[in-house]
Amino acid sequence: MKHKLIRNSVRHFAETELWPIAAEIDRAACFPVEVVGKMKNLNYFGLQAPAEFGGAGLDSISMAIAVEEISRVCAAVGLCVAVHNGVALYPLLKFGTKEQKERYLPRLASGEMIGAFSLTEANAGSDAGSVETTAVKNNNEYILNGTKIFVTNGGVCDFVLIFALTGHDYEHPQTSVFIVESGCRGFQRGEVEDLCGMRANPVSSLFLEDCHVPEANLLGKPGDGLKIGLVTLDNGRIGIAAQALGIAQGALETSVKYAKERQQFKKPIAAQQTIQNYIADMATEVAAARLLLYRACALKDTGASFSAEAAMAKLYCSRVAAKVTSLAVQIHGGYGYSKEYDVERYFRDAKVTEIYEGTSEIQRMVIARAVLSQLMF
Amino acid sequence: MLNLIVCVKQVPMVTELPWDEKRGTLRRDLAAGMMNPACKHALEAALQIKESRPAHITVITMGPPAAEEVLREALAMGADRGILIGDKLFAGSDTYATSFVLAQAIKKQCPDYDLILSGCYTSDSETAQVGPQLAEELDLPAAAYIEKIDITGRTLRVRRFVDNFRETLEMEFPALVTVAMENYQPRYTTLAGLERAFKEENIVSLSASSLGISFSTMDTHGSCTKVRKVFLRKAQKENIFLKGPAAIVVNEFLKNHEDKVSSAIGKDIKKEENDNG
Repeated sequence: MKHKLIRNSVRHFAETELWPIAAEIDRAACFPVEVVGKMKNLNYFGLQAPAEFGGAGLDSISMAIAVEEISRVCAAVGLCVAVHNGVALYPLLKFGTKEQKERYLPRLASGEMIGAFSLTEANAGSDAGSVETTAVKNNNEYILNGTKIFVTNGGVCDFVLIFALTGHDYEHPQTSVFIVESGCRGFQRGEVEDLCGMRANPVSSLFLEDCHVPEANLLGKPGDGLKIGLVTLDNGRIGIAAQALGIAQGALETSVKYAKERQQFKKPIAAQQTIQNYIADMATEVAAARLLLYRACALKDTGASFSAEAAMAKLYCSRVAAKVTSLAVQIHGGYGYSKEYDVERYFRDAKVTEIYEGTSEIQRMVIARAVLSQLMF
Repeated sequence: MLNLIVCVKQVPMVTELPWDEKRGTLRRDLAAGMMNPACKHALEAALQIKESRPAHITVITMGPPAAEEVLREALAMGADRGILIGDKLFAGSDTYATSFVLAQAIKKQCPDYDLILSGCYTSDSETAQVGPQLAEELDLPAAAYIEKIDITGRTLRVRRFVDNFRETLEMEFPALVTVAMENYQPRYTTLAGLERAFKEENIVSLSASSLGISFSTMDTHGSCTKVRKVFLRKAQKENIFLKGPAAIVVNEFLKNHEDKVSSAIGKDIKKEENDNG
């Protein structure tokens, strides 16, 4: 009952506030500050933060439902919420000290600060260990230097987790994570990227030039970077899977409506068996994707390891999103290829879910490793 | 502290309603439920009163077990307590029976109320009767379709807009109002509110026996109407092509379709003609 009410509530908000602007903010590549402001007041930026820090304290299925319902209408805003909650707030909650939590959690949970996660560089992405940004300790500060790219929420973030090299442990690079405030000295944002999809999210580069970060802002211990990164991405994958599922659901519903309305050969195209087959496949795969995602969520809430399950959910949901949105364009025919119709946007938005927060190839690596090491069957 | 009661109803969310053809009632089990939109406006009015002065809000609903959803939603929006009245004996109640049962529950569970608020009508049956009938059952002063509420001491001043008139009425507590949909735009539910609404044990369930209502009571106070037939009204559109000189065909059209034109423009064209000589 709670999950149903959460779904209805988020759907109502998204349809009322985001639906009317979704196409326009995509076209103009504009972050919807006003609507995001309303979302902050409704706890969308503190989905799983505990109530004592001003969050909603939701379970993981509720979190997934919220991201799914926002993304069903506007995936770019869904992305903002998924990243903020999944890979900025979550690692702070999991690895932050008492002081760090007290300082940042209430501001993140209220949306006063928008969060980002910044690992990717020109020569590091899937290969997380190859980060070249450096952090050199100087008294009670670290001095960060380097360039980060493709930072989701980069153009608007106030709180960003930066992965930087703090030294070498024998031959191995030692990576650490720093909480960096956007206002700090030496922090600069790049231009917002001109991307194929998710255009209403200000994805940008971040430049760190002698950026002074207090030692107290080191998340975890020096050298914990890779561990924190992997645990965080496990959680982030649930968010991205939910986002992909929302896109697929939106494309499915739009296609069903269109197929019933569009007349060819003097009958709705929904009466054609080929279209019915498409719709049957789309509905089945969306339902399967949803179950796989909710299983990962339920597992996470038990406290068990959910790494492989989250990877499976992310792999499958993103693949379903890409396939379903492609079929949605097909069902819409020429109109589906036009920017006048929502499915064109869904189609562009879906692709990147197979790429970010671990490409599908990396997800398979995670899954295969778990299966082959008999952690799961 | 003011004691407010808001009556809410769960209605089907769908636009195409699944009907039980035999019984002439809605197959509620097949339709997803939501809080009736007008009830949300009534709840919003109560919440705004609560923001301006100390107040306690009880939401009350009659319906199947799933109707608990609308109570939880109301708690999430800021209500303090919920009452769910459900019993097979009440199944298929019409507005008369419903208002009788609601009155018994209110007398039993919250006799010290100051103001009862309800939506002006429900989206599933649109009778607009339960609010006013409940006022009769409880012998309360009442005003329907109100769009503004001001409270001074124990005096309630309400404004409403009906039949092209805007009127202001004054009543003393206890009283009942039904809230129109123009103002009191319902707030969005916060996610923290929803989470909280499921943690609290503040919903009371009442059955017929706990209200002291039996078969024989329902014989005299039960439904006095029965739905004879439920059918879908088909939209009727007709194209009329008129041929000939404009002066003639327009006059002919007005003559043949006087009633339709009058109802479309909201004036009796025959009367207008006579008045103008």
